[in-house]
Amino acid sequence: MVPSRMIPEACRVLEAVPATSKEMHLVLEAPQQEPFRPEPGQFVMVSLPGIGEAPISIAAIPGEGTPEDTFELLIRRAGRLTNLVTRLKAGDYLYVRGPYGRRVGWEAFRGTNLVLIAGGLGLAPLRPFVRRALHRRQDFRRIDIAVGARSPDELLFRDDIASWSARHDDVHVGVTVDAASNGWGGRIGVITTLFDDMRTDTEDAYCFICGPPVMYRHAIRKLLAMGFYENHVWLTLERRMKCGIGLCGNCQMDGLYLCQQGPLFSYREVRHLKEAV
Amino acid sequence: MEHEIYRFPRERLDALIERLGREYRVVAPVLKGVHHAWEEVRPGTPVALEYPTTLLPPRQFFAPQREVLYRYRKGDDGKAVFETPPPERPVALLGVHGCDLTGLRVLRSFHESSCGDRMVTDRLDQSFILGIACWVPCMAEAFCRDMGSLENEIPADLYAWDFGEVLLLKVLKARGREILADVAPLEAATADEMALLRRRMRVRHEAFPTHLRFPPSKLPVALEAAESDILWEANADRCLSCGRCNLVCPTCTCFDVHDVGTLDGSQGERVRSWHGCQIPGFSRVAGGHDFRPTRTQQLRYRIFRKGKYMPERYGMVGCTGCGRCFKHCPTHISIRDIFRQVGGTA
Repeated sequence: MVPSRMIPEACRVLEAVPATSKEMHLVLEAPQQEPFRPEPGQFVMVSLPGIGEAPISIAAIPGEGTPEDTFELLIRRAGRLTNLVTRLKAGDYLYVRGPYGRRVGWEAFRGTNLVLIAGGLGLAPLRPFVRRALHRRQDFRRIDIAVGARSPDELLFRDDIASWSARHDDVHVGVTVDAASNGWGGRIGVITTLFDDMRTDTEDAYCFICGPPVMYRHAIRKLLAMGFYENHVWLTLERRMKCGIGLCGNCQMDGLYLCQQGPLFSYREVRHLKEAV
Repeated sequence: MEHEIYRFPRERLDALIERLGREYRVVAPVLKGVHHAWEEVRPGTPVALEYPTTLLPPRQFFAPQREVLYRYRKGDDGKAVFETPPPERPVALLGVHGCDLTGLRVLRSFHESSCGDRMVTDRLDQSFILGIACWVPCMAEAFCRDMGSLENEIPADLYAWDFGEVLLLKVLKARGREILADVAPLEAATADEMALLRRRMRVRHEAFPTHLRFPPSKLPVALEAAESDILWEANADRCLSCGRCNLVCPTCTCFDVHDVGTLDGSQGERVRSWHGCQIPGFSRVAGGHDFRPTRTQQLRYRIFRKGKYMPERYGMVGCTGCGRCFKHCPTHISIRDIFRQVGGTA
């Protein structure tokens, strides 16, 4: 019998750092059986034998702000598998296959303005977009980054945000939280309040947005009102997945398989779908 | 090329089973309780060639209800190694109706157009299939004529017309002739038998009532036009979310994946098993959000997948007209009635 294409590869955990009380930031050895060249917006299937498997967005691509043969994941505790994955230590193995998902070429974005928006855990999949944009800074005109979290404690990748903010000459970074107690010196308010500061030419801009469904509804409405074209607003969607390779049917949304035709879509591609956002 | 048609006395069926059994795991419809089921057969087993559609479709032999994807074993260093299960005997199916032959075609088109996981297509390639013509609807729910599967003979190796004491067998693949010649010297059908076959085939469709007023190729457009929620709500109101319709469907392909390990965690297997879009939780993601939470949305999705998404994506309508899903539905939600109703608006 032909072997299943769903057999994973053992990847050694190089670093495991708690990000917040709910999330663990993992630096991993990249899979080696085949060249591991993910694009921003792609994901891997992550598993522990005997426990289960789940799709996880790639939070750093090899060679883009991370050593060539490593990649990173941010795992939130949400179930049995992720509870155990967040307990892994350096030297342990995590089982990985992929990358999966649509590969979007970046040629079309060259010479335009970029707007990168993340809410909550959405910063994990958005991070490779930001790193790619900064890595190829000369390819783009103005770059705006907007990050939102529910509270300061839940703000992810603070070091990244600080280093992006430090480039205030060529990157515009806004950070906001929905609510904060004393000690937070930054902005308070929903993420769309940051959009008012984006002095970008929306007619010639691409936007990438990662966050929870409720954020999409508000953010997209505002972006379109600001003049963004529907096919220039890209979003990543989330679904249950059991295979990652277009077979199990769990991620199907209307006629689309998220694992193959997504999870990155332009708003124009999905706005007419009842099950999208 | 004219098809070769041979006469095959029914009494030789056991010899055919014996011959196939040397290479294949031979399965055929056998009466079990009140239903017919696909069962492994040997010479002497009472095989039913005239039978109401089996409870489960033959896809169970190509995409099994439960299948080990791989086994794992943890070494001393804690690192797991993976191994693929040993090869299994290819399957030979005897007496497959046109609806289920169509189901196997859909299964192939689905797996070929997807990522190229060849576990299912390899089993299809290695199998041997004897199709059989239906003279009358095998049950009241069947609407194979409407769905175009009554006439379908692909992917059979041999295709049979049952004339009681004698079967006429059409050779569709060289493998079919090879097996047949092994059982007994090939005997061409007589002129009288051929005349009888032509006569019966000319009038056969009269035994099959039509239910739909449009061809299945119009389904995507008809469904697109049927946006009115009343149709979906009225049917979904009766749905118990039991998922039977998914499990008995010849073209359902969705599965779940889970691990089964030993208590000490040192070894185990990763298994895939049938799942279905009508079963609660199918579309729920981590954190509890469900993207298709209502029965109305779920029912609409199932019908759209069969009638629109599958033909658009894989080139074949995902309903074969076998009638299983509403025969076995506890509240008799009928895909045939829904198709008929959406056809009214097209």
